[in-house]
Amino acid sequence: MNVSNLVKGMLVLFSVLGITASALGGAPTDKIRQTTDKILSILADPSLKNPSKVEERRRLIRKAVDERFNWEEMARRSLARHWVPRTDEERREFVRLFADLLERTYMSKVEGYSGEKVLYEGEKADGEYATVNVKIVTKKNVDIPVVYRLKKGGDDWLVYDISIEGVSLVNNYRTQFNSIITQSSYENLIKKLKEKGAQK
Amino acid sequence: MSSRTNRDQSLKLIFRICIASILWLTLFAPLCLAGDETSILASTSDEIIQVAIANIPPEPSKLEETPEPISDPLEPVNRAFFKFNDKLYFWILKPLATGYEAVVPEGGRVGVRNFFSNLTTPIRLVNCLFQANFKGAGNETVRLLVNTAFGVAGFLDVAKNELNIEKSEEDFGQTLGSWGIGSGIYIDWPIFGPSSLRDTAGFVGDLFLDPRTYIFNRPIFYVLRPYEIVNDTSLTIGEYEDFKESAVDPYIALKDAYHQYRQNKIRQR
Repeated sequence: MNVSNLVKGMLVLFSVLGITASALGGAPTDKIRQTTDKILSILADPSLKNPSKVEERRRLIRKAVDERFNWEEMARRSLARHWVPRTDEERREFVRLFADLLERTYMSKVEGYSGEKVLYEGEKADGEYATVNVKIVTKKNVDIPVVYRLKKGGDDWLVYDISIEGVSLVNNYRTQFNSIITQSSYENLIKKLKEKGAQK
Repeated sequence: MSSRTNRDQSLKLIFRICIASILWLTLFAPLCLAGDETSILASTSDEIIQVAIANIPPEPSKLEETPEPISDPLEPVNRAFFKFNDKLYFWILKPLATGYEAVVPEGGRVGVRNFFSNLTTPIRLVNCLFQANFKGAGNETVRLLVNTAFGVAGFLDVAKNELNIEKSEEDFGQTLGSWGIGSGIYIDWPIFGPSSLRDTAGFVGDLFLDPRTYIFNRPIFYVLRPYEIVNDTSLTIGEYEDFKESAVDPYIALKDAYHQYRQNKIRQR
């Protein structure tokens, strides 16, 4: 085998590798990766590590998350049949309270980040919808499978549900909200959400 | 002589558990099946949710999964046990685990967890076979041999770290599920925590495959088992707190998370 054949062979090999790499990570995966990397870089930024910068850092993380999450879609799916009778104003209030609750929970997890690895394990797409599979490997050598569910909005893909170990967040909240509303009232659910917000 | 009587007693105990579990299964099997197959009869509200979700535009994609909620006729009792377990965690288990965590380095605690996990290989191995999951059974066999021989009696997970052979988390509850048995009603046991009728039967079934059962009547069992629980807890401090923080009704959130988690495990095999 002469040198030019070897070079040709390598070129073919690289282009094949290139194609597989792009096939493995489509648009939804890229979007998840972008947001994850953005948050990780905020966490790693030494100028934001100072305790006086906590609020600034939170604001930046919140912004990165807001860009990727479709809170209204999430809230609507979580409220399910109870979404229909709500007025526009009630819906806006609910979306805000729900997003606050999720961001607060998410924030405590993110701020506790200590070098876990994030592996991208492929995606599935079905028209407007897509799922992105991610594996988080913790320092205690535990693998946590996470599935992001995304919906296309214009040129962008936005997250409307996350499953951790097979537990969908939206399904979990839907069961809770339905139980609270049917056993007491929608007003009571709002009261509970507000109390949750006031605890911190 | 005394070890002989001990063994007789253990066997008697196992026999009793066996009879009890068979009784359980025959008594509650109809309930079990009713739980998943005909829950529309039990609660019309669930049906309405399904219909309502289907009606929300846009149409849900094939990638969606909306599981039937688990039925919970024992809710008042379950809620009382949930509260009991919650207090047990915050008042007893967490302080013990926190103290232990301060003394034993993390590497050691992960090692202890690996050791107990290696010990319970028979449960996973046999349940893989029950589900005709031969790859899983093979992996479990290799893991047992490799980790026992080269991982200091199972303290190190050499099979995963060096050979990339993952554990197959199978149990008899999942086996029953894969045979088409529904979860049945939800039960939040004191001390043991969330379960279902099917998974309780599964738990009892797995006792026969659990080497720890065979030291049941010896005093060491009463030291070993709580120690294992404290060790496990020390590696997950903060998780339950985060979970409660994110929930609006922690009881319902735990029930639903348990149900979704188990359904997913059964689907996955």
